[in-house]
Amino acid sequence: MLLILARRALTAVPILFVVSLMLFVALRVLPVDPAAMSMPPSATLAEIDAMRSQMGLDRPLLEQYGIWLNQAAHGDFGQSLHLRRPVLRLVADTLPATIELAVAAMLVASALGVGGGLALFALRGRRAELAAESATTVLMSVPEFLWALLFIFVFGVLLQALPFTGRLDASLPRPDITGFLLLDAVLVGRVDVLWSALAHLVLPAAALGLAFAPPIVRVLRSSLLDVYHDDYIRQARLRGLSEGRILCRHALKNAALPMLTLMGVQFGFLFGGSLLVEVIYSYPGLGNLMVDAVRNADLPIIQMVGLTYCVLVLAINTLVDGLYVVLNPKLRRR
Amino acid sequence: MRPLRSGRVIAGAVIVAAVLMCALLAPHLAPHDPDDQNLIAQLLPPAWQVGGDADYPLGTDGLGRCVLSRLLFGARVAMEVALIASLGAALVGSLLAYVAGYLGGWADWLIGRAVDVWMSFPPVILSLILMTGLGTGVRNVIFAIVLVDWTRFCRVLRSEVIVVARRDYVSAARLSGFGHWRTVTREVVPATVPLLVTLLSLEMGIAVVVEAVLSFVGLGARADQVAWGQMIADGRQAIYQAPWALFAPVLAIFVTVAGFNLLGDGLRRTLDVRMVEGRE
Amino acid sequence: MGGISRRGMLGGAAAIVAPWPGLTSAVRADTRDSVTIGWPSDVPSWDPNERFTPDAQSLFKMVYDQPLDQDAQLKLVPKLITKWELAADGRTLSGEMRDDVTFHDGSKMTSADLKWTFFDRIKAGHKVDTANVWKRVTTFDTPTPASFVMHFDSPFATSPNWLGFLGSYVVPKDYMEKVGVDGFLAKPIGSGPFKIVDYQLNTRVVLERNEAYWGPKPRLRRVVIEIIKDPSARVAAIQSGAVDLVVNVPVREVTRLGAIPGLTGQLTPITRVILLQCRNDLGFADENVRLAASHAIDKVALSKAFYAGAAVPLSVPATPGSPGFVADYTFAYDPELSKQLLAKSGFSLDKPAKLKMATFNGQFPSDYDIARAIVQMWKKVGIDAELEVVEYAKYFELNRGAKLPEVTLYTFDNATGDPEIYSGYLLNPKLPFSAWKGMDIGQKVIDLFTVADNAKRIAGYRDLAKEAVETGASIPLLQSVQTSVRKKDLSYTAFGNGWVLPQDMEWS
Repeated sequence: MLLILARRALTAVPILFVVSLMLFVALRVLPVDPAAMSMPPSATLAEIDAMRSQMGLDRPLLEQYGIWLNQAAHGDFGQSLHLRRPVLRLVADTLPATIELAVAAMLVASALGVGGGLALFALRGRRAELAAESATTVLMSVPEFLWALLFIFVFGVLLQALPFTGRLDASLPRPDITGFLLLDAVLVGRVDVLWSALAHLVLPAAALGLAFAPPIVRVLRSSLLDVYHDDYIRQARLRGLSEGRILCRHALKNAALPMLTLMGVQFGFLFGGSLLVEVIYSYPGLGNLMVDAVRNADLPIIQMVGLTYCVLVLAINTLVDGLYVVLNPKLRRR
Repeated sequence: MRPLRSGRVIAGAVIVAAVLMCALLAPHLAPHDPDDQNLIAQLLPPAWQVGGDADYPLGTDGLGRCVLSRLLFGARVAMEVALIASLGAALVGSLLAYVAGYLGGWADWLIGRAVDVWMSFPPVILSLILMTGLGTGVRNVIFAIVLVDWTRFCRVLRSEVIVVARRDYVSAARLSGFGHWRTVTREVVPATVPLLVTLLSLEMGIAVVVEAVLSFVGLGARADQVAWGQMIADGRQAIYQAPWALFAPVLAIFVTVAGFNLLGDGLRRTLDVRMVEGRE
Repeated sequence: MGGISRRGMLGGAAAIVAPWPGLTSAVRADTRDSVTIGWPSDVPSWDPNERFTPDAQSLFKMVYDQPLDQDAQLKLVPKLITKWELAADGRTLSGEMRDDVTFHDGSKMTSADLKWTFFDRIKAGHKVDTANVWKRVTTFDTPTPASFVMHFDSPFATSPNWLGFLGSYVVPKDYMEKVGVDGFLAKPIGSGPFKIVDYQLNTRVVLERNEAYWGPKPRLRRVVIEIIKDPSARVAAIQSGAVDLVVNVPVREVTRLGAIPGLTGQLTPITRVILLQCRNDLGFADENVRLAASHAIDKVALSKAFYAGAAVPLSVPATPGSPGFVADYTFAYDPELSKQLLAKSGFSLDKPAKLKMATFNGQFPSDYDIARAIVQMWKKVGIDAELEVVEYAKYFELNRGAKLPEVTLYTFDNATGDPEIYSGYLLNPKLPFSAWKGMDIGQKVIDLFTVADNAKRIAGYRDLAKEAVETGASIPLLQSVQTSVRKKDLSYTAFGNGWVLPQDMEWS
C-alpha cells in the first residue's frame, strides 16, 4: 500500500516540475514588470533598471527559472510584490481555510450524492424515475457560483438566517494553532467559536457541495444498476437474503469503487470551484489570495498559488489511487 | 432518428434554439440600446411591480440600463463563446486524441503526459492565469477555454479511438491498402462521432459558465461588451435595492446551461455513448 | 461576521425566526468600552514609512504618532512636535518636540528617533516610500534630545504639511536597530494611543488602549478592525450588527441602512478629488477634443446618480475650502459647445473622435459606473471612447512606460489640502502621478515647487489650476465622499480628510 502511494507520488514529481516551468515562463512573458511593480511610484527609470538586474530579470528566462528553482528548493518562494511578505507565509496562512471549506463541501456533496443516488435507485422502474433523473440533469446545470449567490440572497438577505462573510464572527477571538478553525476551536475548548465557525461554513460549503453532488448521484445509481445485473446478486436473492442486506453487503460495496474514483476527481476540481465561492463569501482562503494577486499582477503569488492548487490535485489523485487499491481486493493481491 | 424521440433531446434543443434566437434577434427584440443609460431611472423594478415602468419590462440596473435588453444582448456573447470555444476545444482535443489513440507509441505517451499536466490544474485556476496574460475580451475568453478544455475531449476520445482502431473492419481497411489518413477519416472518425457530438453539447454548457465566471471576476468580456457574468457582478452591488437585476442573468445562465445539458444527456443515452461522468 | 448579534437590527426582516438559537444569545458582554470597525483594506505593511496608502492612515494613527497632526478642519496642529519654524528661504526647518513620549516598549522617544525616521533609515537604504519625500534632507541635526534642525537641498515649503501626511510616523530607532525591519514587522511598536495585540493578515487587527499614552487617553479599551474588502459584505456586517461602524459602502446603501432603527448613515466630503488624468498626445493632442470632452460631462448628474448629490462638482482640481480652491470659477457643462469644438477639428456624431479611457474597478465607490456613464455622455457629442479596466497598482507602471490611454479616471487623496499636492502633483511631468507631459504647463508647475513665499505659491497654484482646466490639461469631476454607517449610539469625529479614528470614538 505504502509502496503504491510512494510510486504514485513519484510520478507526480515530473508533472509538478513541468507545471512549475510552464507557470514560470507564462508569467514572465506577461506584459508586467515585477521590478517596476515592487518600487514606489516615484522611482526613476534608472532605479527600476537597477532593481531589475538585482531581481535577475535581465537574464535569460531559463537561467531565471534555475535561480527560482534553486531558491524554491531552499524553501524561498519569493516575496509578494504588493504585500511585500514571503509568499510561502501567505499561502500557509490561507491554505487551511480553503482545505476546511473544500472538505466540508466534499462532505456535503458525498452525503447528498449518496442519498440522492440511493433514492434514485430505489425509484428505478417507477414513473417518478424519469422526473427525478431529469431533475438531476437540471441540477447539474447550476454551477457553484450561482448556488452561492442564490444562498446569499435567500438565507443571508431575505431570511437573514445565516452569516455570509468571512469565517468567524467579529466579536470572537480567533484561536490560531493549526489554522483549521474548527479544529482550533475544539483545541481551545471554545463552543461559541466552534458554533460561529460552523455557521459561517454552512452556506459556502452547501453551495460548493450542492454543485458537485449530481454527478455522484448519477454514478452511484448507474453502478448500482450494473451490479444488480450481475449473477451473484441473483444468487444472494436465491439464498434468501433480504433486499436491505443485499444492498448493504454486496451491491454498495461493489458500486463504491467507481463512485470513489469519481469523488477523487471531483475533489480536485472542487478546489477550483472553491475560488469563486471564497470570493463571493469573502472567505479568507487561497482563492481570495489568488484573485487579489491577479488583480494586482502579483506574479510571485500567482505562481505559488497555482503550484499549490496543483500539489493539492496531485496529492488527492495519489490518495484516491491508494484508496482504490485498498478497496479493490483484486488489485491488492497483485 | 432515435435522438428525436427522446424527450430530453427535444427539450434541450428547444431551449438552445430559443436562446440562439434571442441572441440572433437581439437588436430587433430589445426595447433599448443595451448600453443606453438613464441616470434618472436607476434600479427600477420590473414593470409588474410597484414603481415599475412599462418602458423597462425587467427594470433597470445601477446605471439605468434596460435589464431585458442587456439580457438579450448578453445571450450573443454567451452563445458566441459557447459555440466557437467548444468547437475549438473539440477540434484541438479530438485531433490530438486521434493521433494519440491511432498512432499509439511515443505520440500517445507525449499527449498523455500533456493531458496529465493539464489535469493537475483545476480548470478555473488555469483559465484565470491564462486570462491574466491574455487580457480581457471575448476573443481571449474563447482562446482560454480552448486552451483549457481540449483535454476533456482528448481524454475521453482517446480511449474510444483505441477501442475503435482495434476493431476488425479498421484492421481490414489497413490491410486492404488504405493509408493512415483514409483509415482515420473513413473508419475511425465516423465511429466516434456520437461521442464527439455528446461531448460538444456538454462542453457548450461549460463554456457558458466559464464565460460568466470570468466576466464576473472582471477578467472576461471587455467593459463595453454586454455579458451575463458582468450583469451578475453589477447586480450584486445592488442586491438589496434591485434583486431582479441579479436574478435575471442568473436565471438566463441556468436555463441556457440546462438546455445544453439536457441535449447532451439525451444524446448520450439515445446514441448509446459510454463515457465517464464528472463535473469539472 | 453576520447573523450573530441582532442588536441594532430591528428592521422588518429581523422578526424572522433565528435558526441558530445558540448563536443569537452570544452577544458580547462588554460592548461599551470596545468597538468593532469594518474597514475596506489592510495595511500594506506595519512599517508605517514603507508605503503611501491613504486608506491605511487611520490604522497607522492608532499605533503610531506623527510629528504634526491635523484637526477635523485640517488645520496643522502640534503633536510630537510642539513648535516649528520654516526659514524664509524654505531650506531649513527647525523645531522642538515633546519630552514625555514613550514607545509601547517603555523606551523614551527623543529627537534621535525623529532623525532615524526621516534621515538615517533613508540613508541606510531601507525601502520606504518616505524616502521619496525626505531624500531632500541633506543634514539632520539634533542639538538636544528635544529639538531638531533639518536642512533641505532646495526650498521645501510644504515640509511642515508633510510632517503630518502620508508615511510620516515616528518609529523607534533602538528597537528597530536591535530587531531589524523584519523583526519590527513581526512585532511593530509605536507610540500611539493603541497597541497591537493580534494581527491576522487581510483579516483582523485587534488593538488595546496604551495605558501609558502621553496624550488624551482613548475612552475605548479595545478596538477590533475587521478587514472586509467586499462592499456588499461590509453592508451585511453592519446590518447584522456584527460590526459597529463601516466605511466606504455604496451611497445607496447608506440611505437604506440609515433608515433602519439603531443605525445612522453619514456622507462626509473629503479631501479626495475624482478627476480625469489626461495625456497631451495621441487623440488628446488636439485641445478642441480635450475641451469638448470636458464640456460634455454633466458632473451634477454624476453626483446625483452615484453620490446622492453629496459629491460637490469641481471646476478645478482642488477641494472646496482648501487653499488652492478657486471659489468664483466654474467650468460649464455645455454639450452643444462640445459639438462645436469637435466640429472645428472635423469630428461629428457620424465621424466621432476615437480615444481610449482607463478606469479602476472598485478602487473608490462607483468608479467603474462613473467611467461608464462618462463614456455614454461622450457618445452623445461625438467622442467614441473605448473603456479598459486597469488595476490601481498598475497606474504608475503604465504611466512610466507612457502606456496609459488618453484619459484615466483617477482619484487623488490629499489630506493636507495644500495645492502643491493637488495640481502640483497631478500635473508635474516629472512625477509619476501626472499623465500630462506637456512642458507649457509642466514648467510652470516645476517652478512653483521651489517658490518659498507661501502667498505667492498659493496664488500661483490657483492660476495654474484654472489654466490647466481651460486648456483641457485637467478634467476635474467631483469631490469624493466618504460614506459611513454606524450604530446610532456610537459617536465619532468625521475628519475632512477621511480619517476615522477610534481614539475619538465614544458610546453614549
